[in-house]
Amino acid sequence: MRISALLALFLTIPALHAGIFSSNEPTVKCVYSGTDGHCVEPILKSGHEIVVTVVGQGVAPSVTASPAQAYALAKRAAMVDGYRLIAERVKGVEVEGQDTIKNMMLTQSTTRTSVEALVRGANIINTTFKEGLCEVEMEISLSYSRVLP
Amino acid sequence: MRSRNGNFPFLFSGFTLIFALAIKADDYYIGYRLTAKNAQAIHETLSVSKAMQPCGSLEHSAILVLNHAPDETLESVLKREETAFLEFASYQELHVKSNDRISASNTQSLNSLTLPTKCYAVEFNNESVTITATK
Repeated sequence: MRISALLALFLTIPALHAGIFSSNEPTVKCVYSGTDGHCVEPILKSGHEIVVTVVGQGVAPSVTASPAQAYALAKRAAMVDGYRLIAERVKGVEVEGQDTIKNMMLTQSTTRTSVEALVRGANIINTTFKEGLCEVEMEISLSYSRVLP
Repeated sequence: MRSRNGNFPFLFSGFTLIFALAIKADDYYIGYRLTAKNAQAIHETLSVSKAMQPCGSLEHSAILVLNHAPDETLESVLKREETAFLEFASYQELHVKSNDRISASNTQSLNSLTLPTKCYAVEFNNESVTITATK
């Protein structure tokens, strides 16, 4: 009796998880921290949704009128960084490199990166402020229904 | 219990009130620009201007409600609640521009966010102000 009850419980929990807790629209979630490199970039398919999550960082200026102003300015800078990361992930980055060689020796090496994009529907999920560094976690979901309403 | 015909004047006055409130809302053009250099916000501009003629429709538009003190202008409300407004408005549309320069000796980063100047319907009440994005 106990064994059959346990067996029923084991069978019920995955069924509940699959049936009730999952939404109809499949979501491919991928956290782009920029350092782990484990996430394979998913391809957006019809009926699917890709959620891109980034963490923007901003620093408070050394001279501020109040801690509140320091927080506000650090959050602004973190938001800018977050939006840049979203634009980088979604649209891509233009990279331009320039090396100067003089007398067969490398004298100067410069790399320029630039991003320009129009972002719609990005959300701030979480904000943390610690020791002058503000981190803003941002999320944007991409799907065909958003692009082609 | 009133009859349908008896309720008509009340319904009519209700619709009139809603219509009057809709008419009372003013249109404002609001734009915003933020520049950050090396992860520090260095320049911020918020421009607010009252529209000279009505603009856009309000159907299915996002709404933001902010606290409002008596005799407070929209500009001062937005400056006080700038973060809330920025989060609300940036969800609709935001332009990002970023330029980084990396060399052996130093790294420079210049990023800017621009909220394109857009028309918003603004309704002042006693203790709150309702900002609606127009389409």
